[in-house]
Amino acid sequence: MNLMTKSLLAAAAGVLLSATAVMAGPADDAIKGRQGCMKANGAAMGVMVPMIKGEKPYDAAAVADALGKAEGACAGWAGWWGDDTQKGETLETWAKPEAWSDKAGFEAAGAAYGQAFGALKASADEASFKTAFGAFGGTCQSCHEKFRRPKE
Amino acid sequence: MGLALFAALGFAAFWLLSAPRPLTAADLPDHAGDVANGERLYHASGCHSCHLPGPDLTGVDAALPAGGAPLKTPVGTFYPPNLTPDPETGLGTWTGLDFINAMQRGIGKSGHHLIPAFPYTSYAHMTHQDALDIRAYLATLPAVKNSAKPQDVPLQAIVRRGIGLWKWVGLNTSVTQADPSQSESWNRGRYLVDGPGHCNECHTPRTVIMTSDMSRYLAGGPHPEGDGKVPSLRGLIERGRYKDANDIKSALQNGELLGYDKLSSGGMGKVQTNMSKLPDADVAAIAEYLASLK
Repeated sequence: MNLMTKSLLAAAAGVLLSATAVMAGPADDAIKGRQGCMKANGAAMGVMVPMIKGEKPYDAAAVADALGKAEGACAGWAGWWGDDTQKGETLETWAKPEAWSDKAGFEAAGAAYGQAFGALKASADEASFKTAFGAFGGTCQSCHEKFRRPKE
Repeated sequence: MGLALFAALGFAAFWLLSAPRPLTAADLPDHAGDVANGERLYHASGCHSCHLPGPDLTGVDAALPAGGAPLKTPVGTFYPPNLTPDPETGLGTWTGLDFINAMQRGIGKSGHHLIPAFPYTSYAHMTHQDALDIRAYLATLPAVKNSAKPQDVPLQAIVRRGIGLWKWVGLNTSVTQADPSQSESWNRGRYLVDGPGHCNECHTPRTVIMTSDMSRYLAGGPHPEGDGKVPSLRGLIERGRYKDANDIKSALQNGELLGYDKLSSGGMGKVQTNMSKLPDADVAAIAEYLASLK
């Protein structure tokens, strides 16, 4: 084998190796699901907050639509927190290790969020929407504070 | 022989330079504590964020600064002490001078250096009057009996003297002075940010000797608890993080209750909760000052 062939083979092996190293896997899928859910929640906040601040009139249909989308994006939530999803194959996660080491606390925070989400979805008029929204935002905060790493 | 002499001289210099130099009664203003102002500055200073009751303390109002909750730092785990007026385990027998020396000079009641996980490096920029008002407010709280566990810091004695040397080099004790070219509220905002708010402790990166690197003032840095990053507070408007000063004010007052989700990770949620307890004008002043940082 001449030097040229050897170099080519070595390069090919290198490419193959790095390809396996950066291949997406099951943890990436879970992280993608989690981040998609959070993104949809953020989008729903973007719809609702101007109504809370009084910058836009209350619009029950727009609220229902945004919450419906968030619910759809988060449908797989329970299956996205396996022990093997603490680190992605290629994706970075901002979840703190406490989401796994304090499972009971994390699940309680998730349940509080689910309950607040349900109340928000059930709100039928502006007054009950505003009341339910306050509790909802509080559950976002308390969970993020404990279980999310800060990022710039 | 020469070497031993050299080492002895070095040690003597270290011992002298690292000695605690507390304030004396003559340095203190004659000041009757203002409880209402003290309560306001207690929140602005974020005292409760670290001095909250520990998890094993049952039957105590969680809003009281009874101390004992673990605070993990790169140098070890601290159990911030009890700030309630209990005479045995709290601040009950502390004089105003004891309090000022601890809060603004980092010297404990028994005369040893305090480790600057306690941000006296920032509180030193407050007026003594404001610090004494915080003490007056603390004295009105119900006394809770709770001895904080000793700090879990390796080589404490030598670390504490080392801190004396560090203070000699890097502790700036000048009170924030007003800039006459700026508005009164801007100056109030700067005072609250640099002194009680101790924003620099996390938002300003540190130099190799662990003092705040003021050439990168509030420009963000690694998280002190070692996980993630602390964002820059400069150019918040220019970078599109917030629309204007009013938006920053709303973020500090409401946090995630109005969807400002950057305000609730890495300890900022506690800060925001404290900010929400400040008078409107103080939060507006902080927002005005931060919005002016390019």
